Parts: sequence; structure tokens; C-alpha cells
Amino acid sequence: MTGKQALLILIAGSSLAGCANLGVKPWEREVLARDDMQLDAQPLDTAIDDHIYFSKEGTSGGRGFGGGGCGCN
Amino acid sequence: MANNDKRIGEALAVAACGLLGAAAPSASRAAEPGSGWDVDTAFLFYGESDGRVKDASVSALAIRDYGDERKLSLDMTLDTLTGASPNGAIASDLPQTFTSPSGRSTYTTPAGEIPLDSSFHDTRVALNASWSQPFARLYSVDAGLGFSSEIDYQHLGLNAGITRDFNQRNTTASFSVAYGFDTVKPVGGVPAPFAAMGDAVGEDDEGNASGQAGSNQDKKVLDVLAGFSQVLGRHSVLRVNYSYSDSSGYLTDPYKVLTVVDPVTGEPVLRTPPPGVEGPGGIYLFEHRPDSRRRQGLYTELRQDFSGNVLQLGYRYSTDDWGIDSHTLEGRLRFPLGESGYLEPHLRYYTQTAASFYRYSLANGAPLPEFASADARLADMDAYTVGVKYGHQTPQGNEWSARLEYYEQTAKAPAETLIGNQPGTVQMPDFSAVILQFSYHFKL
Repeated sequence: MTGKQALLILIAGSSLAGCANLGVKPWEREVLARDDMQLDAQPLDTAIDDHIYFSKEGTSGGRGFGGGGCGCN
Repeated sequence: MANNDKRIGEALAVAACGLLGAAAPSASRAAEPGSGWDVDTAFLFYGESDGRVKDASVSALAIRDYGDERKLSLDMTLDTLTGASPNGAIASDLPQTFTSPSGRSTYTTPAGEIPLDSSFHDTRVALNASWSQPFARLYSVDAGLGFSSEIDYQHLGLNAGITRDFNQRNTTASFSVAYGFDTVKPVGGVPAPFAAMGDAVGEDDEGNASGQAGSNQDKKVLDVLAGFSQVLGRHSVLRVNYSYSDSSGYLTDPYKVLTVVDPVTGEPVLRTPPPGVEGPGGIYLFEHRPDSRRRQGLYTELRQDFSGNVLQLGYRYSTDDWGIDSHTLEGRLRFPLGESGYLEPHLRYYTQTAASFYRYSLANGAPLPEFASADARLADMDAYTVGVKYGHQTPQGNEWSARLEYYEQTAKAPAETLIGNQPGTVQMPDFSAVILQFSYHFKL
């Protein structure tokens, strides 16, 4: 394992431990429940963008599996 | 004091989560249980400058919620592509003639211009279906399959994933795997690696006159995605994805060539086709890429509400064994406009380093490299997007929206790939594009 990977795992581990203290109670989710606060609020826009950038740039993906399945790259 | 400590602890945790957090591929725009179908439709126009690629496309995504978090999702896209695409050859002081991919005709690029192949046109149909449902307390599973077809390309894909909620559903961890099996069937056949572009063979004959490696080739792509999402507070949520992608098989672009140039002048080496035959006026070799590629990526996205305004910030880092490292920064700010509308400006910046086998051209007489491509998408590159979206909710709860974006891309050939007098005369196929999209969201 390289030093870089070890550091990444350390950061990941400590971040997750930190996350255990975060969050809200179920009755505090009014804002979080809104459509515009969902992480995939606009799935079609995301899919279209992923497809465009997949065909025009050297790297793609990362957000989900979108963009692939095309002979354009 | 204890209160202060707690606040500091929370602040540190937020900071730590900021470094790395989480992602769940949740079906967005949660449909009301039992309400039937939730449908998103879009019409897209994508047009590049200088008569290059144009894409008109229609898409629809329908999600049916059967209650108890059981959901069926179906989507369909139809693309029609037309226009001209760079063939990889460099610009020259003289007009340049090329054989079209079908091998049946030639086209000529005027002096001083980047060669574009205008025979580029395609129709693409893509269909995807997926199902998700709870699996046990706090777990859900999803599975899907996808298919797409073009004149010269077919894709078949399968995916499956598992998601688990923790910490009163404030933390979500997910793990997904996708496998794609693609078939490339280039117009005119698969050119052999570094085969020279051949002369045109006329309307009656089959295939390209260049060296052939069969009529089709396969490509397999394995994608793995590990994600976490974390609620940071009443107004913010964060996600981080780690992605790994392993592609193998035919990863070459069958239509792209490299220009063979004079090692001193850096100008294309000229060639005369046999008498009575039409063909290339230079030596152009079909590109050849490695048959495997491993890519890793880290994607982070934050959504933060400020009294009804929503800021979305994203960053992606990607690195692969082709030598392409990229950074993408993206931001959107959505704010209400009027009674039932919203406006959402968008900015995106992308930068990448060149693939180790990227070449602007090849020197005549020099030994061929193991792999080479002059595709500008594999060169050093910067790109940005500026856009705005306007959306409006109807009294029935449906929504229509329009977005307009401007994209500009600038590529650069690394200095060490230039030959002879090329430094100073390099021309890259830079372009700008307009993205115009109309969408309508409704319930059935």
C-alpha cells in the first residue's frame, strides 16, 4: 500500500467516525425532504450532461454509471 | 462550555465529512406512493460551432412507486447526430484529401483548416429499466439493465447495487456494480492498427481499402461505485463517491487517423494516388490505443439550503493508467423567482492532462510507437460551461423548464509531441457548443 492510499483510508475512516455525530432528528427533515434538496434532484439533466461530457472529454462518470454505452468515445 | 465543546466537535465533524463523505443512488424526485407514474421528459438540442456535431434528442424517464419503497424506473433516449467530426489529421498549408470511412468516396479539406469528416451521422436509441426495493430493515437493493444501439455500436449493460442506512438514516452507504458489453461495428470495417488510409474503392465494392482487422470488435467495461451520503444538518447534505472502472477490448476510435509528417518541416508527407483512382493525398495512419484502461475517481457533492435558495457544489478527481488526470468543478445556485418559478445559474470547469500515447502527428521514417492517437479528447484540455435554467411549476403540480448552456473547449498538444517546425503552427480542433433543453415533468 502506498503512503497516498494509507492517507486516503485514514481520512475516510476519521470522516466516517466524525459523521456519526452528525445528522438530524426525523422531525427536522422539512428542508431535506424538499425535491430540490435531493442529491439526484434532476436525473434527466444529469444523464444528458454525463452523456455530452462523456463524448467530448477524456474522462467521465464518477457521479453514477451514467454516460456510457455509446460509440461516441 | 460543554455546549461550546459540542459545537466545536460538530464543526470538526463537518470539516472531516467535507474531506470525505458519501452517496446513494436514490431514485430522485420521490414519487408519491400509489400516485402512478412520475414522468420526466426532455427535448435537447446540442450544436457545435463551425458546422460540427449537432444532436437533437428526446428523452423520457418514468418512475412508478408501488409503495413500501418499491420502485420501477424506465428510461428511453433517442438521439440523431449529424455534422462533421475531426478525423485526427493536422491542418496543412495545402488542401488535403481523405478517403471516407466507408471507403467509397473522398472528401477534401481546404488549406489551413482542421480536417473534418462530414460523413458523421448516427441515430442512437437507448433503453434502461431498473427496480429497487427494501431488502431488510435499513437495506435496499436495486438492479437494472440497459441497452443502446447505433449504426456502428451496440451496448448491453447490467447493474446491481445495495444501500444501507445508518445513524437514523442520516448516513447512507451504497455499493454498486455495473457491467457493460459493447460491440463496435465501424462503417467500412475495423482498421488494422496503424494501417494506412487506403484509396477509395468506388460505389460497388465493399469496405475500406485499408488493412482490416475484421468487421466488429468487443469492449467490456466493469464499473464499481462505493458511495456515502451524509446529512450534515437541517440544511445540508453531502455525498462522496469512489468509482473504479476497468475497460478492456477495443478502445480505439476506428475513424481517427494520425498524419505522417516530415521530421524537419513538420508538414504532412505528400502522396499521389495511382492514376485514375481517388485517394488520400498524404499518409494517414489509423490510430491504435491500448486494449485496457483502469480509471479511479473521487466525486464529492454538497447541497446546502440558504433560506430556500439551494447551492449545489461538486468536485470530481479522476486518474487513469492512460495518464489522463482530470479535475472537474461544478456549481449551481437555485433561487426562487416569482410565485412558482426558479432560476438556476450553472458554472462548470474541467481540466485534463494528455494521455501518455497522445501524438499530434507521427514523424516519417521514425519507428512507430506501441500506441498512438491524435484524438484531441486525449490531449491536454481545458473546458468550461456557463448556463442558466428557468423552471416553473403549474397549478396542477407539474413543472416545465428550459435551460441554455454554452460550452467551450480548448485542447493543447504537449510540446514533446510536436515535430520539426510544428511549435508555433499547431492548430487544435477547439470548439464551442450550445446546449438548449426543454423539459416537462408530470404525473400520470
